[in-house]
Amino acid sequence: MAPRRSKSLIVVLLLIIHIAACAHYPLNQQSSSFDKQGGYRFEHLKAGPHNTDKLFICLAFSGGGTRAAALAYGVMEELRRTRIRVDGEEKSLLDEVDVISSVSGGSFTAAYYGLFRERLFTDFRTKFLERNIQGELFARLLNPVNLARIASPWFGRIDLAAELYDREIFEGATFAQLEENGRPFVILNATNLGPGRRFDFTQEYFDAMGSCLDRYPVARAVAASSAFPLLLSPLSLKNYPLAPGYEPPWWYPKAEEPKDWFTRRYDAAKNLNFYKDKKNAYVHLMDGGLADNIGVRALLDAYAHGFIQQKILDGDIKRLVFIVVNARTEGEDRLSAKASPPGFCTVLEKTGTTAMDNYSFESVAQLRAELNKREQAQEDIIAANRRLEKCPGVPKFPEPKMVDMYVVEVNFKAAEFIGENPRYYLDLPTTFCLSKEQIEKLVTIGPKLLNASPQYKCLLKVLQAEAEGRPRPKECPMGAGITGN
Amino acid sequence: MTEYLVVKFPKPRKVLLNDNPLGNTNDLLPVDEGGKYTVSLEKPPYDFMPPEQEIDLHDTAPLNPLEVEFEET
Repeated sequence: MAPRRSKSLIVVLLLIIHIAACAHYPLNQQSSSFDKQGGYRFEHLKAGPHNTDKLFICLAFSGGGTRAAALAYGVMEELRRTRIRVDGEEKSLLDEVDVISSVSGGSFTAAYYGLFRERLFTDFRTKFLERNIQGELFARLLNPVNLARIASPWFGRIDLAAELYDREIFEGATFAQLEENGRPFVILNATNLGPGRRFDFTQEYFDAMGSCLDRYPVARAVAASSAFPLLLSPLSLKNYPLAPGYEPPWWYPKAEEPKDWFTRRYDAAKNLNFYKDKKNAYVHLMDGGLADNIGVRALLDAYAHGFIQQKILDGDIKRLVFIVVNARTEGEDRLSAKASPPGFCTVLEKTGTTAMDNYSFESVAQLRAELNKREQAQEDIIAANRRLEKCPGVPKFPEPKMVDMYVVEVNFKAAEFIGENPRYYLDLPTTFCLSKEQIEKLVTIGPKLLNASPQYKCLLKVLQAEAEGRPRPKECPMGAGITGN
Repeated sequence: MTEYLVVKFPKPRKVLLNDNPLGNTNDLLPVDEGGKYTVSLEKPPYDFMPPEQEIDLHDTAPLNPLEVEFEET
């Protein structure tokens, strides 16, 4: 008996070793040549039938597990319900959304809409929001075959999660389908653990890696974007620098002047160099929240030196709107009333979240500051030229393309201003399993917070006045959409 | 730090910054970061001189942009 049992044990062990040895994460594809126009990049996407550049809307969905996904979903429903008229055509605000930048939990809502559009409003709740995703992940993890697979150094818990998302939520879709669908351009943000920098699943990032994004599963990008540290393992990509004919982004040449070492352009060039370096053969990604938990940084880059800036300078964008859906929570401060210093677990939790929360706050503040700076420059030049009109023969100052700008933030902290208890939402956990009641409350509070935003109210008033041929409402002058009035 | 550039040319034409189209001649062009760039104009027609100019963009303001001039040939 004993030898037979030993033989069985050996067979089982060999089987486990075989399964583990065969398990490997799917590799991203190498590009045969660089194609500046092709692939999943904003410039290459067609606008929808009701989408204009004149009104350019960008959404940012923060991280925060199902809480963030549900809040973003509620806001999407409200944008779909909100009717506007642009150039005589009636449509929904959602029709005018051009970009969605998302992180972690918010990436599920963003990617689902990018892929399946109207289906978001019919089956996303049952397919994702109301499901116990983390329970299903745990069950898959306990499957003996999967236990053997994750024993492989080339296959981790994140790959199991990606398989689940691919099969159950995203139906095997790749970036080619997102590309085919056109705008909105969905930017799924992750964090590259090597340099500790943001990584976007866009062809621009894949260009630098000599890789083609088209055939890459969207589910894997969402998994990387939401790979919560320690609970999930990093997701890996292969770096293949450089594709034949590769051209770096326009801002890159001459960016590395030693005298400019402190600038963001220099820093961005150094980050690009990471991917150009053959020594960095792999890119290991984790939750986008580690680099930017609110999704605003990718939009700021597009505004500063990317496709948004291009469209502004070409005079295409007349009205630029950023709607930031921030599902950030904040535990009640019970520390400051105690004489004894906080314990190990509290310190660990604060260490993990404090810097990230402050950075998120600063990201939105920077967005407002950047837009405010442009608004101020516009006002100064108009005022200066008005004065110069009194001086015949004196040339006027060159004017920039004028843009009417808005920053709308949906944040639980504002719940108190609409008679709701913010504590309920601020205490919700970050998890992929919330009750139906919690989901319902989140889906309901999103539209309320959106409609209560003074900047959003101004946007709707200005759009309505313009549609009716009336002058701009006095209570919403230029600039009121950024800082409020 | 945003810098400001105006590229002067008698005709409306696309401005190229490091070979990338970035707004039009005679408009105020905000550039996200200063530093060295190559400025030129979109062609055809190739009716301007010099073919390109190297600039170091810094210490500008909306009412005090760096002005770069191209002559029509």
